[in-house]
Amino acid sequence: MNHQTRVYDDIFEMLPDEDNPTPLVRINRLNPEPGFTLYAKLEWMNPFASVKDRAASYLLRQMEEEKGLRARGTNGPEDPGKGIVEPTSGNTGLSLAGLAGVKGYPMKAVLPNKVPLEKKLMLKLAGAELEVVNDDLCPSPGMGEGSINLARTIARAQSNKFAMPHQYENENNVRAHMETTGPEIWKQTAGEITHMITSLGTCGTVTGLSKFLKSKNPDIKVIAVAPSEGHDVPGLRNMSQLSVTTLYDESLIDDVLEIDYELAYTRAAELFSHEGLRAGPSAGLIFEGGRIVAERDKTGLGVMIFCDDAFKYATNFAKHMPELTEGTSPMNHENPRPVGAAKE
Amino acid sequence: MSEYADPSVLVSTDWVNERLNTDLKIVEVDVDTQQYAAGHIPGAVAFDWTTQLQDQTQRDIISKENFEALLGKAGISNDDEVVIYGDNNNWFAAYAFWVFKYYGHDNVKLMNGGRSKWLDEEDKPLTTDTPNPTPTTYSVGETNPQIRAFAQDVLQVARDGNANLVDVRSPDECSGKVIAPPGRSETAQRAGHVPGAKSVPWVTAVNPDGTFKSRGDLEKIYFEDAGVSEGTDTIAYCRIGERSSHTWFVLKYLLGLPNVKNYDGSWTEYGSMIGVPIER
Repeated sequence: MNHQTRVYDDIFEMLPDEDNPTPLVRINRLNPEPGFTLYAKLEWMNPFASVKDRAASYLLRQMEEEKGLRARGTNGPEDPGKGIVEPTSGNTGLSLAGLAGVKGYPMKAVLPNKVPLEKKLMLKLAGAELEVVNDDLCPSPGMGEGSINLARTIARAQSNKFAMPHQYENENNVRAHMETTGPEIWKQTAGEITHMITSLGTCGTVTGLSKFLKSKNPDIKVIAVAPSEGHDVPGLRNMSQLSVTTLYDESLIDDVLEIDYELAYTRAAELFSHEGLRAGPSAGLIFEGGRIVAERDKTGLGVMIFCDDAFKYATNFAKHMPELTEGTSPMNHENPRPVGAAKE
Repeated sequence: MSEYADPSVLVSTDWVNERLNTDLKIVEVDVDTQQYAAGHIPGAVAFDWTTQLQDQTQRDIISKENFEALLGKAGISNDDEVVIYGDNNNWFAAYAFWVFKYYGHDNVKLMNGGRSKWLDEEDKPLTTDTPNPTPTTYSVGETNPQIRAFAQDVLQVARDGNANLVDVRSPDECSGKVIAPPGRSETAQRAGHVPGAKSVPWVTAVNPDGTFKSRGDLEKIYFEDAGVSEGTDTIAYCRIGERSSHTWFVLKYLLGLPNVKNYDGSWTEYGSMIGVPIER
């Protein structure tokens, strides 16, 4: 392994740590407050293109040590192996599937139907078997965690074939950020970070980062960004959706900013066109949080976790920014409307 | 559970676990029908709420003949003790329970907490083995039409106000902000609620572990907070009649209201009728 020449023996060696951090890139044209420095931490530079590589590698290691994962064919050609089942909106599943594939472990991802097709196909490309769960029929507070319960059922009823890391409850999800993301940021900012801005999902990132950074400097402000009710930002949870995770600890968070979820898309588009940062929707929402903090606090050094990039979310972008699809079809010159467009 | 008005209709996960491999018949009914295949209580059969508990041609509950065939194929006899459980806090399990009661199967119970509670308890076994029951000849005797409300019953209450109406949908559906939750295909022409209906979302009745709240808590929710009158007839409704089965169960068996009906036509019917009164 050589991080200078970037020559590696396998994908595991590319996983980030203090010596091989994901990049921090300063926001320039879109920073609303010159006295406040805003950095984006580009988690899409991880091997499987999201922040979830960190938790996934820790979870996989734990499952290997404690649950006896077994590669396919270990005990003869008919041996299906013992692998991972996990409920996932896509990114954790993709990281787990990618890493599991390298080791020969089977992977079953249980995901809600609203996950974009791009992510579903990527999971299949990575070798995962999918169990797609219908979205809530009648959503009610605290309800509709069908994918989590289905994965738990599989892990219990088919424990000879699958083990479930349970990213929503597993302290290794937190540990991954205490031992990698946190130290990376501390080193990259030479300890000058004043604000940490991230989102809420499993809450492993916010809890792990807060624990590490506040141990270094208790004055660092940890700000969590949450999408507004009824949101469509895959992977994120708003405050009313946090009951499924045991990793959320409000004592470690200084502020929660609830932000109109449509801004996730428009801010992400601005980041791509103005900063060259191909941000996904969650990064767009976090950036809006960073803007709010910069305008409010005037001075400081903020680091924003940009969880993943835009490529997996073309469908979502088209839905939330319908103008993006204009001019994407050839024009009919006799009747200058895009071919196939409905008449007025 | 002995505190409830009729504790005989509710059993615990431990109670069921102690009776595995006995004559007890166990039925799983889920919102998400994939759950059963992934793992279920040993010996349990599964009924699909969309294809097996509803008529597949006209909008109606399963016919008497099809109910008899369904239970016969599942190896259930008229005298069998049946326990029903399911996902999402026994939501559709309660609907199945209502259908069983409608067709006069007296000895039927819900497993408190449903499959989520079973899953939470490490000592409870799960299997992917599908049982192969010996078919029986099930024959429906006397039915219980008094537990079912039709549109005319609801209209009568809307006009006279002489019974409780409980709207168990989400607050946004009840207030008329939305006609149905986003993305749902079953909808209505108009938004709002039946005049005089009290809004108590169905899930208010359950604890975080999926079990029903205590009788004292339920009395506070329905009687004190929502203003449901204890001595009056009651109709519960939702959007398509399933969520309201859950509240029907609570009001009739846990709180012991005298005459509770489930209006399975619910808002998709009421909100589409011409000329009926609607409040927002």
